[in-house]
Amino acid sequence: MSEGAIQSQARREPPGLIAAPAPTAWPMITALGVTMAFAGLVTSAVVSAVGAVLIIAGAVGWFGEVFPQEHRELLEVEPAVVSAGAVRPAAAQVAVGEEGHRAILPLEIYPYSAGIKGGVAGGFAMAALAVIHGLLLHNSPWYTINILAATAMANLANANVATLSAFNAHAFVMALIIHAVVSLLVGLLYGVLLPIVPRNPIFFGGLVAPLLWSGLLFAALRVINPVLNARIEWGWFVLCQIGFGVVAGVVVARSERIRTFQHLPFAMRMGIEAPGIMPRKESR
Amino acid sequence: MEQEIALTAVDDQAALPLVGRLHQWVVTVDHKRLGLMYIGGGLFFFVIAGLQAVTMRLQLAFPDNHLVAPQVFNRLMTMHGTAMVFLVGMPILTGFFNYLVPLMIGARDLAFPRLNSFGFWLWLFGALLLYFSYIGGDGLYGAGSAPDVGWFAYAPLTERAFSRGNSTDYWILSILLTSVGSTATAINIVATTFSMRCKGMALGKMPVLVWLALVVAFLMLVALPPLSAAQAMLLLDRYLGAHFFDTQAGGSAILWQHFFWIFGHPEVYILVLPAFAFASEIIPVFSRKVIFGYHVMVAASCAIGFISLGVWAHHMFAVGMTPAGNAFFAASTMLVGVPTGIKIFNWLGTIWGGKLRFRVPMLFSLGFLFQFMVAGLSGIMLGVAPFDWQLTDTYFVVAHFHYVLIGGIVFMIFAAIYYWFPKATGRMLNERLGKWHFWLFLIGFHLTFDPLHFAGLHGMPRRIYTYQPGRGLEGLNLLASIGAVVQALAVLIFAVNVLYSLANGEEAGPDPWDAWTLEWSTTSPPPEYNFAIEPEVRSRRPLWDLKHPEDPDWQYE
Repeated sequence: MSEGAIQSQARREPPGLIAAPAPTAWPMITALGVTMAFAGLVTSAVVSAVGAVLIIAGAVGWFGEVFPQEHRELLEVEPAVVSAGAVRPAAAQVAVGEEGHRAILPLEIYPYSAGIKGGVAGGFAMAALAVIHGLLLHNSPWYTINILAATAMANLANANVATLSAFNAHAFVMALIIHAVVSLLVGLLYGVLLPIVPRNPIFFGGLVAPLLWSGLLFAALRVINPVLNARIEWGWFVLCQIGFGVVAGVVVARSERIRTFQHLPFAMRMGIEAPGIMPRKESR
Repeated sequence: MEQEIALTAVDDQAALPLVGRLHQWVVTVDHKRLGLMYIGGGLFFFVIAGLQAVTMRLQLAFPDNHLVAPQVFNRLMTMHGTAMVFLVGMPILTGFFNYLVPLMIGARDLAFPRLNSFGFWLWLFGALLLYFSYIGGDGLYGAGSAPDVGWFAYAPLTERAFSRGNSTDYWILSILLTSVGSTATAINIVATTFSMRCKGMALGKMPVLVWLALVVAFLMLVALPPLSAAQAMLLLDRYLGAHFFDTQAGGSAILWQHFFWIFGHPEVYILVLPAFAFASEIIPVFSRKVIFGYHVMVAASCAIGFISLGVWAHHMFAVGMTPAGNAFFAASTMLVGVPTGIKIFNWLGTIWGGKLRFRVPMLFSLGFLFQFMVAGLSGIMLGVAPFDWQLTDTYFVVAHFHYVLIGGIVFMIFAAIYYWFPKATGRMLNERLGKWHFWLFLIGFHLTFDPLHFAGLHGMPRRIYTYQPGRGLEGLNLLASIGAVVQALAVLIFAVNVLYSLANGEEAGPDPWDAWTLEWSTTSPPPEYNFAIEPEVRSRRPLWDLKHPEDPDWQYE
């Protein structure tokens, strides 16, 4: 609407009344016409013909609503007092650096090297347990190693016990790579996660995390790889995981911690000059 | 020449007889009434399509079941899917935008009120035409049948040689009509948002809902024309002997799939972005905190809208695209997860440390948050092409998209209804019935759709009429069917709640939730003119500024 039209509207609206577009049936009649025109394709040409008539009538009527002048109705403004009131009138602002603010962020963390050391140590502990498992249950130290390699070598998952009990150089290299990579990554994960549970790091790293991980694998492997799943002795599997978790957890938890900047106000962390942080001019 | 305006005094509507009052609804061009009619119409079809779903679940509850005939099952499946997308999701969500956008930006109506009315009626008549196919599908003088080609109606199987009679034509024509109606709404929302905001409401001060309405409107304008074009091409094939999809005459077997999914995937976001919009309004109010990261939320919404236009062929991994095509669409699918993840973190950031009020809208919002995250994760899984090759067209896919559509969108539609019902009617919905509704719907939803993931992993194909016993599917399907009945019960409680509360609900007052956006500054229900005086805002939470003059938001924005 042009500025002139708005001024015109303002002049023609009596006090206490508001002009709004008047109700009209023409859009509905036009829509009905379009629908009938379409419906005629699957019913009868007569339906389309009636639809065409309705479209023309609707279009003419619709044009009459807006040309040469828009048809508007006057609405009476009802006196209504809407007061803005808050249920909780008091609002709290959290100040940066205030005690308790962002308390969830650890003030001290472990260096990455602690996670790597934990992963290496846990990996050795797990490997030792895995070899003991192979010797005790299958009279071969290679059985468990070959099973681990079978996660990436599909032919090994279907192999017989004799094949799995024999030394296989390819499988050994594959198992070594898988074991080393996963141990280091999980060790790093421990290094990052354990500061979040500073009270019971060994309990979390040694028991909770291995059990969660084992449970997830137990539930998923029967769907993802049922052949491999049938080869796994889950009691020993959990024992190996706990062995890794306890050793890695102890190594990480005993490492020296690094203090973070999280206890400092944001302005100080950003190096911003701010009152209260920077010394007074006269004291410099 | 100065433009003239004809003015007519309005009758007192309360004094009109019933027929007169109904007539007022039929001829209305008021955005609020049209919004409510969209929502009411959508809920009507929600009940019908929901009952069709329950019938399908009863058919699948037991192996070798013969509750309905296979042909009937195919029609149920097609009509359920088509109705839930085009006759339920689209109208309810655009109905909310119709109702809320002018109120939230301080306007008196949408930019083109008559076009708005035209769009609604076109949608309604299109919807009725679709269901009329049950009578006229084989032609008026035949036995009649509804479409049975699935909601995405793949050509060339929808060509005349494979789909006889008129049932597919009903599908084409009715969806074409509703698409034109939706386009009219989209034009209206874009024009209104850009040109009718009240004084002080810069783009950066619009509520997140209005931003999302704008993104959805743009998506509609871009995504709907390819569908309409494909439907026109299919009509030409079926009636005038064209060969767009006729492979024996040089047509393409996958052209339809490309056209359909260029529409179809943005359509998912056309449906889910309004759910995001509702969450972005409801979660802050019930956490008593300003939304976390407003600018990032808006940017993420725009990014989702943009990226969603480039992911369509992840629905087509199984057709045998080139490795480069597979890699591109897998990567773009991963990419759309980034802004979506940002939004989830922002909602969590809003909840974090807030003074939470676990009223029914918030309960539904929390359900949405968890379920949508699961749906997103299974979507990322399906975005990996080799994984998709294994599970395409299984119940895993069905479970995934129902997690999006019900776990995400329907939960937020219910949240929005509980939240804005007091504004639209002046009455509160009953809280106790609402909680029954929420918990039953939550339990029913998980009973139905959690087991269906596993049915899909076990290899149960989607759209099958029945299955043989002894394949590990009996228990999972029975659970899913029980869950469907529980969901239906929950919806029944919701319907009772609405009817009861309309008559006996507690008076709401203008601002029952102690909220902050402009719609709560007018009466409940708002007068036809919305605001007697045009509001003026200085921040994104104008009512907060009014309620807390000692600590207004504009000091920080």
